[in-house]
Amino acid sequence: MFDKVGRSLSAALAATLALTVSARAAEPIKIGVIAEAQSVAGASIPQAVQLAADEINAKGGVDGRMIQVVTYDDKSSAADAVRAFQRAVSEDKVQLVIASYISEVVLALMPWSARLKTPLITPGAASNEISVNVHKDYARNKYTFHGYLTSHALAQAVCDSAKDALVGLLNAKSAAIMSEDAAWTRPLDAAFQECLPKAGLKVVEHVRFSPDTGDFTPIYNKIEAAKPDLIVTGIAHVGVQPTVQWQNQKVPIAMTGISGQATSSTFWANTNGGTQGVLFDSVALPDVALTPKTIPFTQTFTKKYGGAPSYAGYMAYDATYYTAEAIKRAGSTEADKLVEALEKTDYTGTVGRITFYGKDDPFTHSIQYGKGLMTSVLGQWQSGKQVAIWPESVATGKIVLPPAVKPAVQ
Amino acid sequence: MIALQILVDGFAISALYALGAMGFTLIFGVSGVLNLSHGALMVTAAVAAWAASAEYGFGSYAGAGIGVACGLVGALATYFAVVAPIERSRAIPRAEKEIFILTGTLLWGIMIQQLVAYFYTDNPKTVLPLIEGVVEFAGVRTPRNEWFTALVCWVVIALLWLFVNRARAGKVLLAASMNPRGVTLLGHDMGRIYVAVWAIYGLLAGIAGVLLGMFLGVSSYSVGPLTASAFSIVVLGGLGSVTGSLIAAYVVGYLETTTAYLISPAYRVIPALLLLVAVMYLRPQGFLGRR
Amino acid sequence: MTFPVRGLLLILPLLVVAALLPFGVSGYILGLLTIAYYFAVFSMAWDLLFGFAGEVNFGPTFLIGLGAYGAGILNNRYGLDIPLCLAAGTALAVIGGLALAVPALKLSGPYFGLVTLVAVLLLQNLIVVFSDLTGGEIGLTVPDVISIDADTNYWIALGFMAVSGLILTALARSPAGLILQASGQDPVVAGALGFNVAKHKIAAFAVSAAFSGLAGGLIVFYMGTASVGTLIDTGVGVQIIIAAVLGGRRTIVGGALGAVFLIAAGELLRPLGSLSTFVVSAAALAVILFVPTGLLGIASLRRAS
Repeated sequence: MFDKVGRSLSAALAATLALTVSARAAEPIKIGVIAEAQSVAGASIPQAVQLAADEINAKGGVDGRMIQVVTYDDKSSAADAVRAFQRAVSEDKVQLVIASYISEVVLALMPWSARLKTPLITPGAASNEISVNVHKDYARNKYTFHGYLTSHALAQAVCDSAKDALVGLLNAKSAAIMSEDAAWTRPLDAAFQECLPKAGLKVVEHVRFSPDTGDFTPIYNKIEAAKPDLIVTGIAHVGVQPTVQWQNQKVPIAMTGISGQATSSTFWANTNGGTQGVLFDSVALPDVALTPKTIPFTQTFTKKYGGAPSYAGYMAYDATYYTAEAIKRAGSTEADKLVEALEKTDYTGTVGRITFYGKDDPFTHSIQYGKGLMTSVLGQWQSGKQVAIWPESVATGKIVLPPAVKPAVQ
Repeated sequence: MIALQILVDGFAISALYALGAMGFTLIFGVSGVLNLSHGALMVTAAVAAWAASAEYGFGSYAGAGIGVACGLVGALATYFAVVAPIERSRAIPRAEKEIFILTGTLLWGIMIQQLVAYFYTDNPKTVLPLIEGVVEFAGVRTPRNEWFTALVCWVVIALLWLFVNRARAGKVLLAASMNPRGVTLLGHDMGRIYVAVWAIYGLLAGIAGVLLGMFLGVSSYSVGPLTASAFSIVVLGGLGSVTGSLIAAYVVGYLETTTAYLISPAYRVIPALLLLVAVMYLRPQGFLGRR
Repeated sequence: MTFPVRGLLLILPLLVVAALLPFGVSGYILGLLTIAYYFAVFSMAWDLLFGFAGEVNFGPTFLIGLGAYGAGILNNRYGLDIPLCLAAGTALAVIGGLALAVPALKLSGPYFGLVTLVAVLLLQNLIVVFSDLTGGEIGLTVPDVISIDADTNYWIALGFMAVSGLILTALARSPAGLILQASGQDPVVAGALGFNVAKHKIAAFAVSAAFSGLAGGLIVFYMGTASVGTLIDTGVGVQIIIAAVLGGRRTIVGGALGAVFLIAAGELLRPLGSLSTFVVSAAALAVILFVPTGLLGIASLRRAS
């Protein structure tokens, strides 16, 4: 009789243990996503994270734990984003937040990520300040990860692509920098000033214009007067207007550089084709196989959401995956352990091989730039499509001259 | 040839400013209303034109027409939904009507801005220009569209001038702006006059909006700056003076263009703002305002 | 100076409830209310200027921005202590307020309103142009904060709002305040009665500026950052004005009610996503059209009936 009791007791004990273990294992991993639902760049972020989460969950989750995505719309407002972050952590109890492509928003969130000890990854903001702040006060700000390239790195990409793909074709010896006068372009322009000469391009003109500018005629005229062979841009707040006016005024100089809006797949329609021939840097482009994961992601995303992902979408998708990997590595979602694990990230995602700069590098916790790591892509708008021109290993087409640019005399 | 460049560039942008500002000041002159949803109306017209021609495939002419029509509808809606109820309201004391209309139109403008952003995102859009190509003139290269914009603006301005000074209905409007009671005594219904003025304003704002969309492009973010710009120009020219707004628009347009060319494109808006401050301190009634 | 007992009876219990909230409510709601309380001070300060001095101020954020950036830059660049930064920021705001007061004496209505609007645009442009100092449109990060604890921040904000409300209401009901009200509604008669209209208006600007600037500085040390989009943009100014008009102009306290209402409404409507601003603006417009005396007006209507 005791035997039976013993056996049923141990059975009960085993059952309870199993239940507890599975209950803990079933505890979901909550990832909060704060993004700008109304903006083309921002809307992709929650969509990409959800897509990644669904895929990971379909394969059994992270060590049996399912990923639950909680989304918040910050309406492009830093104040709303902070509120959303507070809610995500104290009410919805998320373990990590993926947030925004706007530098102002990310900077406003950083103190809260530190205060509430919740890791924060930005898949799209470019400001150097983000990683510089992590470097300056590592103990406090280590929870923030800059899941994108810094302005410094982006400038480097523009220079490298110009040197490899443009200088020869255009027989270019000089360049003019054209940027909106804003805080994010200061380090970008400084980096351009440094790396363009190294690419063989003398900087003959440097125009910074008010971000409210609507009329770009004076600017293009000023640039033309300096006779550069290439215009290198740093624009994001404006994009449609300068591009359309560049086309309408038939400015005979090719344009490349950072043009945030040009990376969007709707840019052709927004400019009514005015963007023909414009070169721009982007972390990834649809139909460009940067890695074996790129095109499948683009296709799945387009099928599910009816349009190609924005640049932030690629980064957010990869961020979800390397976060999942980090959680697995750490064996926990506890903040400090997660941060440590994230620092060891070496993940080949859709945009390339993702690794982070460390504590001793000036841009701590931002993605490392370089050949074999992450380089981004130089694309060109050709007849409604974004064609990859550089790096050569992933090029999907040859560069064409913009309509107003005459072939270079070799 | 910088001088010629400045002359040409400044001309078109000033004409555009002028068209927007004249409607704004007309409303103030006749009905005493400062419509802070002005920018929203212009953006609505521009986005409607863009949506009609690009999204729904109506083509550029029909699109432009639809845009202007939306400006008209928007202005009338503003009058009937916001301005007229506040003016008629007995709960609001006379002295406060102004602040209520200001706040009311401001809120209305925000509502429109949010709707535009909701349906069409806050991405900037350009309207397909009616005329393409460039014109070379004495070493200065300008898009044909720019000349077209300036031409249309001036034709409309001329029509407006003719209407106010020659047409009977227009003269009544002018009289109403100077002496509403006198006009009522003559047997005119102020209510109908107000509707007429708002309709004209709607057309002006609609045309200005569509042209702006073609020439420079707009987004839902343009709403605030457009209203502020029109407001500044109108006060500079003298509230209520249509000619004053025209002159002020050109002053501001050329000031901005000259600054962009000769000083730096980064400081484009600052001299105009400083001029405004100076005028406010020294001659608050503006260039041609009636005090 | 008398304080209406009924008013106190209404407000005191609300304040007590508010003070007890941290014991039951999540850090998120506390954070929400903390910001709402600072906005309440913005609106109350605005109401003093408009409601009483009759000055239509489209740019309350000019004064707020001066206070916020003044304090923020000193802390970011020179690492000065928070109280010193706050004092400097407030002083800067007062100077700005006095600069605005000068044209206010000569101009009326829409003209003065335009000056305030231009002041905001100028400040915005200056901040973007001098981004080395101010962080530009990305914003300024301040290394020091008042406290990391949500409860402490909440109580500080609540206390600040209560004290500001008290002082502002007292000022409004004082003899000086009544003179101000008279000057606002009929400056000619007020002047004829021998009151120094100019002196009272300048004082009103200084007081409004002091509270706006101080509140601006405090918000920066709570949020940890300052940026044009959160503190200076005309959209923020519009929210402040709407809150004051919504709550009931010329009541000071109405400003606080309006601010809390707007933020609470924005939160409740969150599920609507991007349309929530639209709905809040529409609701505010409806209140303006149908109950111009604002929320406090609705309350007094009910009490009357």
